[in-house]
Amino acid sequence: MKQIRAVMVGQPNVGKSSIINAISGARLHVGNFAGVTVEKKEVTLQKGEYDIDIVDLPGIYSLKAYTPEEHVTKRYLIQEEYDVIINVVDANILQRNLILTLQLLDFRRPMILVVNMVDELEEKGGKIDANMLSTLLGIPVILTSAKEKRGVDEVVDKLIEVYEQKVCECKLYYNEKIEDEIEQLSQILLQSPHFSDPNLARFYVIRLLENDEEIYKIVHDLPIFLELHEALGESIKRLKLEFDADSVSDIFADERNAIARSIVMQVMIQPQKETLTDKIDKILIHPIFGLPIFLFFMWTLFQITFEVGSIPMDYIDETVSNFAAWLKTILPAGDLNSVITDGVVPAVGAVIMFLPNILILFLGINLLEQTGYMARAAFLLDGFMKKFGLQGKAFIPLVSGFGCTVPAYMAARTLKNPKDRLITMLILGFMNCSARLPVYVLFIAAFFPTTSAGNVLFTIYVGGAILGLIVAKILRTILFKGEPEPFVMEMPPYRFPSIKVLAMELWIKAKLFIKKAGTFIAGAAMIIWFLSSYPVNEQLQSQYEQKIVQAHSEAQKVLLQNELAARNLEYSYLGQIGKTIEPIFAPLGFDWRLSVATISGLAAKEVVVSTLATLYAVGEADERSDTLISKLRENIDFKTAIALIIIIMIYSPCVAAMSTFYAEVPQWAWRAFYTIYPNVLAWLVAFGAYHLLKILGY
Amino acid sequence: MKVTQMKIGQSGIIKKITAPEPIKSRLFAMGIAKNNRLQLLDHTLKKQTWEIEVEGTRIALRKEEAEGIEVEQ
Repeated sequence: MKQIRAVMVGQPNVGKSSIINAISGARLHVGNFAGVTVEKKEVTLQKGEYDIDIVDLPGIYSLKAYTPEEHVTKRYLIQEEYDVIINVVDANILQRNLILTLQLLDFRRPMILVVNMVDELEEKGGKIDANMLSTLLGIPVILTSAKEKRGVDEVVDKLIEVYEQKVCECKLYYNEKIEDEIEQLSQILLQSPHFSDPNLARFYVIRLLENDEEIYKIVHDLPIFLELHEALGESIKRLKLEFDADSVSDIFADERNAIARSIVMQVMIQPQKETLTDKIDKILIHPIFGLPIFLFFMWTLFQITFEVGSIPMDYIDETVSNFAAWLKTILPAGDLNSVITDGVVPAVGAVIMFLPNILILFLGINLLEQTGYMARAAFLLDGFMKKFGLQGKAFIPLVSGFGCTVPAYMAARTLKNPKDRLITMLILGFMNCSARLPVYVLFIAAFFPTTSAGNVLFTIYVGGAILGLIVAKILRTILFKGEPEPFVMEMPPYRFPSIKVLAMELWIKAKLFIKKAGTFIAGAAMIIWFLSSYPVNEQLQSQYEQKIVQAHSEAQKVLLQNELAARNLEYSYLGQIGKTIEPIFAPLGFDWRLSVATISGLAAKEVVVSTLATLYAVGEADERSDTLISKLRENIDFKTAIALIIIIMIYSPCVAAMSTFYAEVPQWAWRAFYTIYPNVLAWLVAFGAYHLLKILGY
Repeated sequence: MKVTQMKIGQSGIIKKITAPEPIKSRLFAMGIAKNNRLQLLDHTLKKQTWEIEVEGTRIALRKEEAEGIEVEQ
């Protein structure tokens, strides 16, 4: 078996993921790049005698890396070991994509060019001559359409072919004067004993001429550095003079652009038709109708999340209760039986129930992203966001925050300015993540009529977002003075999303969620169960048992049993903890059970629901118990429910999110601020709301 | 003429780009480079955000960046 390691590189939105998904027989692994929290997708497959491994690198516009993701890609390309570069470009915007291709060709490594989405181009009457393009670039070119599964498997064949050839036959050269300087400088670099590869020397020199700091750091330690540095300065001076340019970067920029232009002119017949994107954009980013349409989309998304998501809920609920009842009969009686059927199964079940809601919300956010609408929303909202000291692009992490705060913190990396990033990250917690959805769904179902459920949910989400904006404004005025970062963003063409990619994303999400429910939440439930079952007060126990024996009627027995259970719970560790923290939450009308549930939400927001399920489930004498919803109605009043919803909206996100924040923000002061202020704010707002409702007579 | 002086639908050839690094490199990576054709597609109601098309790519910019791009008809 021969091992081939390939990397897939391309600008954002060229459809790399769909190509990776379309390769037959490929197995996908999702992980992280070493040391950073950027998602790493990798596929492995076998073909003939070859074991092939393809790493999908994050999208990169140019080797002049700008965002943290781009730095990951660049560093990987420069430092890691791989055999072949697969460069994916979008046929529709070939010229711009070729600029990155030209930068990659500077590596002079075995490389293939995949021209994707060629079906779209042909539909519009355009055409690309692959043979001609291949001749001009000196590397194999494959026209593909991941959507029609056209040419995708050819990628693997060509990959093997260039792997066997070992060398890049690329014949592209820059202007003679530039090449002269490159040659001279390469010679100096090659004098160093560490350097024997003329291709690598050429690549380094080009990057150095373009003032690339990362390469600068690498050559800085070479013994010939002084000589190189001096010669480099001379070369840069000569080139600037020769081309009458501000910097050598500009010269290369113009040079590559000119080459790309001339290549496109030779190989491509431009499409003529007005694209669908033009027509759709006339409506969707209309100066007046754009914003209302956007709000309508968001409103629809939350309606569907609630309405459609609730359909399978009862079914899942019933299955879980039946399963628990069945387990109770087959397991031997005792603590083990109790921990599983009273602790773990109902808790995990209470959380799994919300999987449909979460998947629908995720699907919606993914759809917005994949169709290209997300960028339009950023365009529409930039002016508005600027008023609050944010920039349009911050909208993308903020919306991802509705899915899960963890990736949203990472998505904030698209913001380059540290102040912008920090403000965005500090308010991200106010964008309600999908893990909080179960809590809202539960409380809305318990305290609001079904007809207004979707609207209440929408209000909660919008309320969180508005609060976030207000806090952003305050932060910008008080703590971060200065202008937000410039806003330059590609507006990708509208596309029909690939069902396969969507399905894949949803599957990964579902798998992670079930895994979390099965491990983390089950573990938390076990702890809560233990804390609520021990220690047992023997005296109380025997006292009540006596009373039960002496009881006259069945009804009285049941009553006494419930009383015993409730007293036991109060006596337990959890009861004691709850009692201790109760004073903090008492002004909000919380009893100790709600207090405990609130605190347990710091582990994961779904745990609030599972804890409530455990705490309110005890004291039931029969299996045909009332649902958690009616239990809540009996024990909590309306204003307390509102206070709880507000607390959940504002206070610290889960441990996973918090540790992501700590990983992304190194400063201790900000970490401390981030840990404290949401909780103080949450309490104050909840307190205000509770007492306002009290005055209003609720 | 600056991009911000163009009318919606108007197009021209890019002649000069004035912007500090790294914004200049970013503009370039998006295809905003000398001698490329630029068309103004849209701007928001208050002319804060601008949408242009350059060689098939649509790009959203703020007023500050758009002012640094000069075109000739």
